[in-house]
Amino acid sequence: MPELGRAALLVTLGLSLYALVAGAMAAHLGRRRLARSAQNALVASFATTVVGAAVLLAALLRNDFSFTYVARTTSEALPTAYTISAFWGGQEGSLLLWLLVLTGFGAAAVSLNRGWARDLIVWVVPVFAAVSTFFAFLLVVVASPFATQAAPPDGAGMTPSLQNPYMLAHPPLLYLGYVGLTVPFAFAIGALLSGKLDERWLIATRRWTLFAWAALGVGQLLGSHWAYVEVGWGGYYAWDPVENAALMPWLAATAFLHSVMIQERRGMLKVWNVLLVLLAFSLSLFGTFLTRSGVVNSIHSFTQSSIGPWFLAFIAVVVAVSLGLVFWRLPQLRSPTRLESPVSREAAFLYNNLLLLALTLAIFWGVVYPMVSEALRGEAVVLGRSYYDFFLRAFGLPLLLLMGIGPLIAWRRASLRSLGTTFRWPTGVALATGAVLLLLGAGSSVPGLVAYTFSAFVLATITLEFVRGTRARKVLGAASWPAAFGSLISRNRRRYGGYIVHAAIVMLAIGVAGSSAFDTVTEAKLARGDSVEIGDYTLVYRSLDENVTANATEIRASLAVRRGDRDLGVVRAGKNAYTVEDQVSNEVGIRTDRLTGEDLFVIAEQIDPDGSVYFRVFVKPLVNLIWLAGLVFLLGSLITLWPDRREQRRLVARAAEAGIPATP
Amino acid sequence: MARKASPARLVIALAVAGVLAVFLLYTSIAGGGNPSLAPSELAGRTGDVQLAGRVVGPIRGDSHAGGLRFRLEDISGERRTSVAVLYTGSVPDLFKAGRDIVVDGELQKGTFVAQPGSMITKCPSKYAPKSDSA
Repeated sequence: MPELGRAALLVTLGLSLYALVAGAMAAHLGRRRLARSAQNALVASFATTVVGAAVLLAALLRNDFSFTYVARTTSEALPTAYTISAFWGGQEGSLLLWLLVLTGFGAAAVSLNRGWARDLIVWVVPVFAAVSTFFAFLLVVVASPFATQAAPPDGAGMTPSLQNPYMLAHPPLLYLGYVGLTVPFAFAIGALLSGKLDERWLIATRRWTLFAWAALGVGQLLGSHWAYVEVGWGGYYAWDPVENAALMPWLAATAFLHSVMIQERRGMLKVWNVLLVLLAFSLSLFGTFLTRSGVVNSIHSFTQSSIGPWFLAFIAVVVAVSLGLVFWRLPQLRSPTRLESPVSREAAFLYNNLLLLALTLAIFWGVVYPMVSEALRGEAVVLGRSYYDFFLRAFGLPLLLLMGIGPLIAWRRASLRSLGTTFRWPTGVALATGAVLLLLGAGSSVPGLVAYTFSAFVLATITLEFVRGTRARKVLGAASWPAAFGSLISRNRRRYGGYIVHAAIVMLAIGVAGSSAFDTVTEAKLARGDSVEIGDYTLVYRSLDENVTANATEIRASLAVRRGDRDLGVVRAGKNAYTVEDQVSNEVGIRTDRLTGEDLFVIAEQIDPDGSVYFRVFVKPLVNLIWLAGLVFLLGSLITLWPDRREQRRLVARAAEAGIPATP
Repeated sequence: MARKASPARLVIALAVAGVLAVFLLYTSIAGGGNPSLAPSELAGRTGDVQLAGRVVGPIRGDSHAGGLRFRLEDISGERRTSVAVLYTGSVPDLFKAGRDIVVDGELQKGTFVAQPGSMITKCPSKYAPKSDSA
């Protein structure tokens, strides 16, 4: 079996190399049949990668500990679902998943677009092939998932905090996002290489980018929720380098999704868009590098990691070659139009882009700062939470405000008077909300108050847009108000799906502000019968139970919760002691108020032999809006992603207007 | 050929200037982060630092009453010096002898007094396991 896996990956490497060399030659010399052959090789490399992945999956499911990878990541007692998730639990397996998704996406994107953009596709194929050659090379030469050993009686097992349903979805979604960003990158580079720098590469990749971006977004929120309910320290995001690794490409992709609209509409920002795609892809490589190389611990672990130097070298080559290409094609990338006024929709989008980019770079700087300072001064300096929080406020709050302004402001040039009429209502709503909140005591956190005021502004503009649009559709003859509302969204999915995503981001902002700027915390060591108060809650520690399951001993403290005179039931918090892995994990107790979205969050920090427990209790207002935002975000993304013939026809017509014969 | 000044350039210039201003503002008020040191580099250091090391037992005391006492040695294992640590506050799940942790604090009379609740264990799961830990 391991031989089959190794052989499959070797064939994948061969096919990728062939697709790279033959594809590049075919594109350069204009050989149509050779180009076709290179495309077929790319599709075939997906098939062979599937074989390799199937071998690893089978080995995991059979608990075949003669595979070093299987022995290191699973154990006999591990439930089947987590045995499957062990596929991406280690370095080699996750690289294989990368390659699998990459070749799959490559094959699909090339097959779907070769009919109407042949001259572009011939150059896209070698780019895809180059990336998959790199990953196949790593898997064959540096980090093979098919290394074997004399089988030990049992495997090392999986870290308890990863034995969780979230780990079935969170990592694969992130990989779908990381790898999905290869598609716009490959098309952008293909466009640069071919010199066909019209808008077709944007049309061909719009959905791919959206899909990758949505997967990254949902994947990150799932990760946050996992941290919140499972890791048990009372938060959901810690600015950990591994978390930032996923946030940075998402922010860059967000900037790209916005600036693309400016290029489609006004033919501007061509160089900028190519650079953003390059940035998003490099950051997704950098993210994989960060999570997989161990370099975040220290620059010293970098040299111990087998794949770290390869990754860094690959990123350097990608950046250098892409920048070279952009420079080479600079004359053809010049925009026919230019910004007319700093008060216009184009300008608002540009500000949005600059802020997103500034935030990305600030985070990037924070992540690499320890390495840079270690290299320069011989001493790693770590930037803490306050660094990131500062920049989130400095760049994030203006972004929030722009989210309300951008979609409503006029193209080309907006007059101050028209601004006054457009934003009269939203501004009024925002100021009123701010004033009411101030009276209610929200002034304890100025950034929190500002976030709420801006959020009210954005929500008001979104509501206004929906009301106006629905009314217009009703006037145009929709049968009923719900029908008018439905047709409004379905006739312009991109726009109204986008508004729904904006609403999700506002909910996220409200949830984050509520739970971080207005939370309360208390700690107490309680013996049975003792109580602790927090906010208007009273918690009484009642009992301690022990329960032995297949792979862990579970200890739980029960606390009766009251608010005023109302009995709110029991919250249970405790610890699990995992037998095989020899580890303990916190199991937090959470009581959610469904009406207000507030959580009462209880951690049993320390359980003493005499039965007394040291508790840490948080009250987190509005925190559940964050998770709800995830669902709304998904809904909005699905609406924008949903196939829309009308939209596609519009885009192609616009491309044709620009003088490109195109038939989708 | 003189090109007409475009508002785009003005906008970009202003934005870059704004970003730089924010950076300067930040560095002037917050003053950057703490140096991250290994136990063998700690001798003679004053002021707040971040200490990263491997936990050496025995682990004594109560982190919520009087403090937890243990020693930290270099993760690299090259130098066998270790430093005594006094820690109060939350202890992460993964904390035990042999694990790699990070704490903030400062050296006081030969003992590294950690800031309450500052301990982070380096999560072994997310990174490639080292060959010796398998």
